Amino acid sequence: MHLDPSTLPRRGFLYRELAALGASFVEVNGQAAPIHLAAGQEAEASAARVMGLADASALRRGGYKGWTALDWLRGQGVAIGDNNTTVVQDEGSRVARLADSEALILGDLAGRSALLDRVEAAWSFEGAVGAYPVPRPDTNFWFRITGAHAANMLAKMCGVDLRPRKFPDGAVAQTSVARMSAIVIRHDLGATLAYDMIADSAAAAYMWRCLLDAMDEFEGKPVGLGAVRALAAEGSSP
Amino acid sequence: MTTSRLPAPAGALLDRAKPITFGFDGRSYTGFEGDTIASALAANGVGVLSRSFKYHRPRAVLSAAGHDANALVQIGAEPSVPADRRRIEPGLSVTPQNVFGSLAHDRAAVIDSLGRFLPVGFYYKTFFRPKGSWKHWEKLIRALAGLGKVDLAAPHGYHDKQYLFADVAVVGGGAAGMAAALEAAEVGAEVVLIEENPRLGGALGYARFDPEGGHGASLMAELAAKVEAHTGITVMLDATCNGWFADHYLPVIRGTRLHKLRARSVVVATGSYEQPLVFRNNDLPGVMYSSAAQRLIRHYGVRPGTRAVVATANGDGYGAALDLLEAGVEVACVADLRPERSDGALADAVADRGVPIVRGATVTEAVPQRGLVGIEAARVARITGQGLTTALDDRFACDLIVTAIGYNPTTNLIHHAGGRVSYNEETAMFEVTWLPETLHAAGSVTGTFALDAVIGEGRRAGWSAARDAGFKVGAAPAVPNDRGQRGVNHPWPIFPHPKGRDFIDFDEDIQVHDILDAIQEGYDDIELMKRFSTCGMGPSQGRHSSLNSVRLTARATGRTVDETGTTTSRPPYAQESFGVLAGRSFEPERLTPMHHRHVEAGARMMVAGQWYRPEYYGPAATRAENIRREVMAVREAVGLIDVSTLGGLEVCGPDAAEFLNRIYTFAYAKQPVGRARYALMTDQAGVVVDDGVACRFHDHHFYVTATTSGAAAVYQRMLFWNAQWRLQVNVTNVTASWAAVNLAGPKARMVLAKICADVELSAEAFPYMEVRQGNLAGIPARIIRIGFVGELGYEIHVPSSQGEALWDALMAAGQEHGIVPFGIEAQRLLRLEKGHIIIGQDTDGVTHVFEADMAWAISRNKPYFVGKRTLAIHEKNGLTRKLVGFTLKNPADPAPKESHLVIRDGQIVGRTTSVNGSFVLGKVIGLAYVAPDQAEPGTTFQIRIEGGRMIEAVVEKPPFYDPGNKRQEL
Repeated sequence: MHLDPSTLPRRGFLYRELAALGASFVEVNGQAAPIHLAAGQEAEASAARVMGLADASALRRGGYKGWTALDWLRGQGVAIGDNNTTVVQDEGSRVARLADSEALILGDLAGRSALLDRVEAAWSFEGAVGAYPVPRPDTNFWFRITGAHAANMLAKMCGVDLRPRKFPDGAVAQTSVARMSAIVIRHDLGATLAYDMIADSAAAAYMWRCLLDAMDEFEGKPVGLGAVRALAAEGSSP
Repeated sequence: MTTSRLPAPAGALLDRAKPITFGFDGRSYTGFEGDTIASALAANGVGVLSRSFKYHRPRAVLSAAGHDANALVQIGAEPSVPADRRRIEPGLSVTPQNVFGSLAHDRAAVIDSLGRFLPVGFYYKTFFRPKGSWKHWEKLIRALAGLGKVDLAAPHGYHDKQYLFADVAVVGGGAAGMAAALEAAEVGAEVVLIEENPRLGGALGYARFDPEGGHGASLMAELAAKVEAHTGITVMLDATCNGWFADHYLPVIRGTRLHKLRARSVVVATGSYEQPLVFRNNDLPGVMYSSAAQRLIRHYGVRPGTRAVVATANGDGYGAALDLLEAGVEVACVADLRPERSDGALADAVADRGVPIVRGATVTEAVPQRGLVGIEAARVARITGQGLTTALDDRFACDLIVTAIGYNPTTNLIHHAGGRVSYNEETAMFEVTWLPETLHAAGSVTGTFALDAVIGEGRRAGWSAARDAGFKVGAAPAVPNDRGQRGVNHPWPIFPHPKGRDFIDFDEDIQVHDILDAIQEGYDDIELMKRFSTCGMGPSQGRHSSLNSVRLTARATGRTVDETGTTTSRPPYAQESFGVLAGRSFEPERLTPMHHRHVEAGARMMVAGQWYRPEYYGPAATRAENIRREVMAVREAVGLIDVSTLGGLEVCGPDAAEFLNRIYTFAYAKQPVGRARYALMTDQAGVVVDDGVACRFHDHHFYVTATTSGAAAVYQRMLFWNAQWRLQVNVTNVTASWAAVNLAGPKARMVLAKICADVELSAEAFPYMEVRQGNLAGIPARIIRIGFVGELGYEIHVPSSQGEALWDALMAAGQEHGIVPFGIEAQRLLRLEKGHIIIGQDTDGVTHVFEADMAWAISRNKPYFVGKRTLAIHEKNGLTRKLVGFTLKNPADPAPKESHLVIRDGQIVGRTTSVNGSFVLGKVIGLAYVAPDQAEPGTTFQIRIEGGRMIEAVVEKPPFYDPGNKRQEL
C-alpha cells in the first residue's frame, strides 16, 4: 500500500528527496520511513555493500544529559562503556557514551527500543534530578552509511581517521563533517562496514547532498532501510 | 636544435602502441601515451615552446621537469600549464603564452632590442609621472603583462578535498624516499609516499651512475618493486606536496583533488634542482640542463639535438655526455669548468669515445640562429678567475648545449617547517643544518649525492621517522661517511658577458647587470634585491635563480653567501590552481521544517547565517506591494511567520532560575511556572549581546529562546558560565528540535481556537506573557503569548518533525480569516513600528544597556548578573550616545538609509540603525544613535543622506504604533 508521508503529522526531514528517488514508505513511529527506493531492496542491499546511504531518521533514538545522567541510566539497568564507545544492550538498543555527563541511545532497525520505552516512562524532573532528556528525534537526523568504501568517502568530509583499522566497531567520533557538528559511530552491519551519522536535523538536506556527491566516485547509491536491515540480518546486527 | 624520436629502449615512460594526436599553436602533432606536451613537441622537431616574459625571446625546454617558466603553456581556459609535466591527451588544444601574433612571429619580440632602455626598476621609476598618466600606461602594461589568459567564462571544474592519514609521510619517491619508506614500513608504520612524477625512481630513472649506464635503472626497479609490494606503503604518484604546516599537516595535490595529509612524522626526500650555467644567450632553445637532456632521452625517447657541447663541473655532465653519445648525438666537446682531472670512470668513458675534453674552460656564449629560435654554435674559453675567461675562444658548431654545474637542494618544505640551511663554502652548496623534531631529510636535499649514502641516509630517516611515530625500532641503519658532497657544485658558474643576455632568472629576464644595478641602487639586502629586481618572483620562485643571485649579491656587497642568506620560502611549493583552493568548500545550509511550504507559496528566500528565511512572498517585481499586503494582514486580520530559526535552549535543574538570574539582566528567581519573561543578555562589559524570552514550564525547567544569529554564541556563553558557577543546571541547545511560528493579528485567537481543544485561549485565562502546553491539531505544542509585532500574538513551538503539519493546520484554519504568511521584511517594519530593537542591527559591538535605552530590562534588586558591575560604571559615567526613535521633520524629504550618519557641527555623533516607511502611520520612522543631549522627544537632529545632503529628523519616543500596547494584550 502506498503511503504518502505528508499525510502524517510527523514528517521526515528528507521525505521530498526520498519520494523523488522513488521511495516506498512504511509508517515507523508515526513517520514515513523509506523502506526501499526505486531500485528495490535486493539491488539496494548489493549496492549498500559497496557504498550506500540510508535515511534512518524514523528510527527510535534518545538521550540523557546532565551531571547525574550516566548514574541515573545505570540505575535503570543501562550498560554504559567508556567515553566515545558504544555498548549494545541485551534488547538490541545501543548506548553511546558521549561524555561523563551524556549518553545517546539508538534503537534497532525495526524502529523499536524497549530501553527507551523503559527509561522514558521512568523519567521525571523530580525523580531524575541532574539527568535530562535530549530530544534527539527532532534535533538530529540519523543516516546509515554503509559499504567497503565508507571510510574513504567520509575522509572527503571529515578530518577524523575513521578507517576500520583505526576506528573500531562501536567507536564514537564527535566531530565536524562537512563543517557541521556530527556524531559518527561505527556500527558494522554483519560483514559490511557501516557508520551512523547523527547531526542537526535542519541540515539534513545539506548533508544528504554532500554525502551523495562524495559517494559518487565510489558508485555510492542512496538505499532504503530494507537494504540496511538485509545487511544487518546477514550478521545478526541490531 | 634538431630533435627527433629515438627507438626503444629509450623512452621508458612511453607506450608506443598508443599514439595520441593533439594540437599546439594551431597545428596538429602526434606523440605517444606517456609523452608530455614538451617531449611530444620535441619529438616532432618543435623547438620553441614559449616567449619570455619581458623580452619575448624564444624559449624551450630547460629542466624538462616543470621547474621553470620556459615551458608554460595555455590549455583551453587553464593558463600556465607546465608543458614538461602535463601529459598529452587526445584532442588536447595547446597554445603558447605571452605571444602577440604567433610563436614564430611574435610582434613583441622587438622589445628584446630595446632592452638597454628598460633597466631593472624602470617600471617603478617611470609610470607615476606626469600625474594622471598611469591610467594610460596601465592599459598598455596590463596588455603586455601576465602569463596566459584567464577565461572568466570558463565553466567551473570539479575539485574536491580528502583527508589522508599516515604514521610516516615521505615526500619524494627517489632513492632516498623509497629507502625511507621501506625502512619505516618494515617496523609496522603506515607510510604514504608522495612523488610528483608519474613513476617512482627520481634521478635513478634518468641519471647515469656508471659507465655502462644500467645501475640506476636496476636499483630503481628493485626498490620500486619492494615499495609497491609492501602493504604498509601507499604510493601517491603525480602528487605534489605543496607545503608543510604545523603538526605535519601536508597539502598534497593530485589532479583535481587536494589531499589533507596528517602524519605523525615526515621524511623530506625532495632532491635538488639542477642549476644553470650563466653565459651569454644561456636562455636560448637548445641550452638545457644535463638532467633535462637525460630525461628527454630516457623518459621520452627524444634525441635532444644532433651535435652538442657539454659544459660540466661534475660527473653528471659526463654521464649526460655518454647518454647523448648513445642517443646518436655527436658530442663536439666537453668543457669541464674544473682545472683538475676528476670523475674517473665516467670521464674516462667519455674520453675513450674520442670526445675532446677541455679542462678549466666554460661556454661563454651560445651563438644564436636567426630569430633566436636555436643555437648554431658554442663559444668555449679558458677560465682565468672567478667569472673571468680568456678573450680568445673556440667556436664549436652545435645545436645543443648541455650544462651540469651543480644543484640547489629542494628545501622548501624544510623551510616551511622552520628548518635551517647554511652555505658551505667548501662544497659550494646550501646544506641543511637544523631540522625540527620529527622531521627528517635524506638524499640530495641534504647535500648527499653518493648513491650508497643516499640509500643509507634514506633508511636512517625512515628509521627515525618510524621511531618518532611510536614504533619500536632496532639499531639505526648506518650511513657511509662519504656522502659525495664534493665535486658536485661549481662555486662560481657565472660568466657575465659585456653584451649581456647572461640570464640569472629566465622567468623575469633578469641578467647579471640587473642584479648588480639593484644592489647599486641600494637594495643590497637579499629580500630587497629580490623585490626590486623581481629576481625569483616569477613562476619558478627562484628554483634556478636563487643560488646564483645570492652569490652575485654576496660578492657585490662584500659578504659571504651565508651572511647574505636566502629569501624566505613559504607555501605553496608549486603553483596551484584557484580550483584546488576553492574546490568543494562546504557551505552548510539549514532549512526550517516549513521551508518547502514557503517556496511553494512563492517566497523569495534570503540567507540568514546558515538559515534560509522568507524575505517576502510574491514576485520580486511587486516587492513593496507584497510587503505592504503582509503588513496590513497582520495589522488588520492575521499573519503567520516562520520563526523556527530562533535559538532554543533547555535550562534544567534545581538551580535553573538562579542560573538565568545570573546570566540575564532581568529577574527570574520568582518567575512563576506558566509565565514568560523578556531575557536580555549582556557580556562582562555590559554590552548587549542577545535577547529572547524565558518560559518557565517547571520549577526545574526553563525554555529560553535566543536570536537566530546569536543562538550558538548564547549556548557557548551558558556552557562557559555554567562551568564557572558549578550550579546544578544542565543546558541543552534544542534549536533544531523545535519548529516555531508566530501567529499574529487581531484574528489570531480565532484562528488558534479552531485547532486547539485543550488550552483555554481567552485573554483572562491565557493573558499576555504567559505560556501554555497543549495540543494543536493533535500536535504537542508550547504556546507563548508575546507580541514582537505589536498585535495579539502566539508564538507556537512544536517538535520540528511536526512543524510542516502545524503550518498546514494553521493556514487551513486561518483561511476564512484571511490569513497571510509574512516574511522578514514585513516583520522588520512591524517591530520597528513598536520600537523593538534587533540585536546586531540596532546595537553594535559596544552598545550597552543604557545606550540602547533598555534600563527597564535590568533587575536592580538582584546581587549579580554578567555585566552588572560594568553597567554600574557606565551609569555613573553617563552616556556618550543614545538610541532614539525618530521621524522626519519634513515628510517630503527622502528617507535616510540604515547607517547614514547623524551629524552635529560637522562632527559624527551617531548613525541611523533602522529606517522604514510605515504604511499604517503614513510616515518614515526609524531608530538612530544621537548625542545624549539630543535624545529628548521633540529634539531635532541632522542626518547626512546620499549625496551629502543634510535632512532634519525629530526625536519621537517609541512605540510609534499603539503606544499604549493595547493591541498585543487583547
